Amino acid sequence: MTTVPAVALVGISKRFGAIVANDGVDLVLSRGTVHAVMGENGAGKSTLMSILFGLVSPDSGNIFVDGKPTTFSGPLDAISSGLGMVHQHFRLFESMTVAENVVYGAEPRRNGLVNRKAAHDRVRELSARYGLDVDPGAVVGTLSVGTQQRVEIFKALHRDARILILDEPTAVLTPGEVTSLFAVIRRAADAGTTVVLVTHKINEVLSVSDEVTVLRDGRVTGRFQRADATSAKLVHAMTGREVTPVANSGSGSVGAAVLRVNNLTVVDHHTVRVTDVSVDVRAGEIVGIAGVSGNGQHELVEAILGTRRALSGTIELLGRDIGAASVRDRRALGLAVIPEDRRGEGSAVQLSTAENLTLGHHRTAPVGASRGLRRGWISLRAERARARDLIAEYDVRTSGEQLPVGSLSGGNAQKVVIARELSHNAPLLIAEQPTQGVDVGAIEAIHGRLLDYRATGGAILLVSHEITELLALADRILVMYAGRIFAEFSRSEATTARIGAAMAGAQAETDIPTEASRL
Amino acid sequence: MNIEPVPGGPGTVAPRAPEPLSRRSRASALLTLAVRHPAVVPTGAVVLAVLIGAAIVLAAGLNPISAYSAVLAGALDLENLDYTFSVWALICGMALAAAIPLRMGEFNLGGNGQMVLGGLAAAFIAGQLDLPSILLIPLAVVAAGVVAGAFGAISAPLSTRYGIPIIISTLLLSPVAVAIVSYLLRFQLGEAGSAVAQTERFPDSAHMWALGSLSYSNMGLILIIVLMALFWLVDSRSAVGFELRVIGANRRFASYGGVRVGRLAFGAMAASGAVAGVVGAIIVLSPPYRLVDGALLSPGYTFAGLAAALLAGGRPAFVPLTAALFTILQVGGGGMERSADVPRQLSDVLQGVVIIVLALRTIVDSRRTGRSATS
Repeated sequence: MTTVPAVALVGISKRFGAIVANDGVDLVLSRGTVHAVMGENGAGKSTLMSILFGLVSPDSGNIFVDGKPTTFSGPLDAISSGLGMVHQHFRLFESMTVAENVVYGAEPRRNGLVNRKAAHDRVRELSARYGLDVDPGAVVGTLSVGTQQRVEIFKALHRDARILILDEPTAVLTPGEVTSLFAVIRRAADAGTTVVLVTHKINEVLSVSDEVTVLRDGRVTGRFQRADATSAKLVHAMTGREVTPVANSGSGSVGAAVLRVNNLTVVDHHTVRVTDVSVDVRAGEIVGIAGVSGNGQHELVEAILGTRRALSGTIELLGRDIGAASVRDRRALGLAVIPEDRRGEGSAVQLSTAENLTLGHHRTAPVGASRGLRRGWISLRAERARARDLIAEYDVRTSGEQLPVGSLSGGNAQKVVIARELSHNAPLLIAEQPTQGVDVGAIEAIHGRLLDYRATGGAILLVSHEITELLALADRILVMYAGRIFAEFSRSEATTARIGAAMAGAQAETDIPTEASRL
Repeated sequence: MNIEPVPGGPGTVAPRAPEPLSRRSRASALLTLAVRHPAVVPTGAVVLAVLIGAAIVLAAGLNPISAYSAVLAGALDLENLDYTFSVWALICGMALAAAIPLRMGEFNLGGNGQMVLGGLAAAFIAGQLDLPSILLIPLAVVAAGVVAGAFGAISAPLSTRYGIPIIISTLLLSPVAVAIVSYLLRFQLGEAGSAVAQTERFPDSAHMWALGSLSYSNMGLILIIVLMALFWLVDSRSAVGFELRVIGANRRFASYGGVRVGRLAFGAMAASGAVAGVVGAIIVLSPPYRLVDGALLSPGYTFAGLAAALLAGGRPAFVPLTAALFTILQVGGGGMERSADVPRQLSDVLQGVVIIVLALRTIVDSRRTGRSATS
């Protein structure tokens, strides 16, 4: 090929304090291709994309757009050079319509006012061209996450982006939505758009990308054409080592029921979220809950933890009815929870790693004391020592336990949450999306720990969107759909196809309703 | 242009050995900590306020250096130190009242109401009970704390149960308390035949103990210092203080971790109100040993204290320092007016500028975290 690449980043380096985020990175994007940028958390993907999109300026290196050297002083420069970015966390006005969001900042005008009709037409035109069905008049806040992502993509396409950067686009999508997203990506590439797909999921790279650049520790550790890329090669380039998956052997003895949920119904703002759900989890057992996000799994977890009241039904922990107990009492009785929303619920980003590890342990030894003179007081020395031990044990990459958790990468912040909750050694562990945003290498470590927990007699309720994760770990898998337990599979019966079908409500629907029935 | 595999292997390069934490990276980690140090931004805010104040003085055709030196001289003159410290105690007390809820991310704007209710309770005890000093003064102070604490605590369930923000309920309840006290002074408790709405002078047994031969600073100063130390201890070393900070950092995280948010908010608002009430008691039990209508509010201790607490970010270790700053402005403002011919309102301007700069910091911070959330 002799054509000029759409974008070439040459010798990009960027340091943040002591951390080298990018170290002489070259990235060449051929026009009309899908180019995957892979790497574990902290490998430098996000920094590289921020540089490409003008959010961060590199310490050294050059950017060529269509062969011409370019410098971006901000994202607006990048946008005017034909770049568009879809962030992992959407930047949408939730109270405004799809059309208003799409044209925002580049509105079609008539007599100085926004031309609403032209905006709606534009959304319809984009819908038709890319085969995406989006109602221009719908209010964004009412749409499913997958549809909101389409709005983000439309925002970029509306501004005639020739280079579209998608940052971890599938993290929030259902399997069906992923398929339709990939179809859109393919269609856009075939129409001449260059797509950059930032991801750490190998199957995505193999299924949709034409070219792959792998980063590790801020450097390029691999470049592949799709034809030569294999799962093993990509993993090796990402982690620098061989990774052996762990799985539940199915052996081990199952004890008495630790958690008994009977006929639980949970209502939120007049909408039934959980309907008549019964689940038992016994000691030495991992019970998996599969389901597309928003089918009541999270509300079920909240009801068990006690941050949400159930309308009816009973919850027993170790034989005691905890339906009316406070979160603190439930936790004291023997409950630990790895929550789905790490930043919003599982941590306080501006507090230090040590303080984040302390919450829930601050009234018990060694940090606090449950009786005696020290009752109600905290030992800062013990807090630091315990934090350092856990940081070492769970391999949290940080330059100090006093730095805020917000300064850690997502995967490392997740390790902090997991370390805090596992160190309760509670009889019942609820793990919601425990490996969300975690490196390939670290996923296996977390899976290993969950299996160890089970082997030592712990009961685990594992809520996950990842069918592979459930198949690897769970002894039984329940599928939640529209707030109900829709299907149950034993380890031997469970297959990806069966679970996937049940997650979609058994019918082969592409657009799965996420709204539960209204009261 | 061809995409070639990196030389040295099938699509891979040799992994780099993880570097040990070098002296250089340690130095830069220290630098990061230093820049993130909580004192950096408030200091910047003060410096900026001083510069802006200087510009204003210059624009008025006056000399900023002589104005500022007049402020310092007025506040820190040896003869005035006694008075300056007595004011510092009151501003520091009101700063403490604002700082406690600030730790859980809430604003107590009802300091005025809590302070006058505390003053009323103390005045009632001091004027009605015939007890020796050793019982009467503590009783008056405790009564002030209890009444004002109960009043402050009302805002907690209003917020946690009914969703009325604490900043609103404290702000709106405060004038109610002020008006009630004013009414009582004018028509029920006031000294008969006096042109001013005030109580009778309390008996000598209700006069706050003096500190040696000082004429302004009294045991109230010591009491405030003890309360400050207690706040520091509870904040940094106790489970309750830790939980309060967790609530301030992320309320959902706190609930998820088992913190009883409602109970803690109640306790914090009660403590906050109680401290404001104690300040009221100290004022009332000091000269002129009466509860005078409006006299507790006119010096503006509540606002100065709130500003000091904000500047300190609620951190116990900084509150005494920022309170000292606002004390110097307030006390020195009079001196500046006399000797440098600069109106004392410049003090208010400087306080205002500090608040604005701090507010800007909050906005910049939230933008920065909004951006880093996606990186």
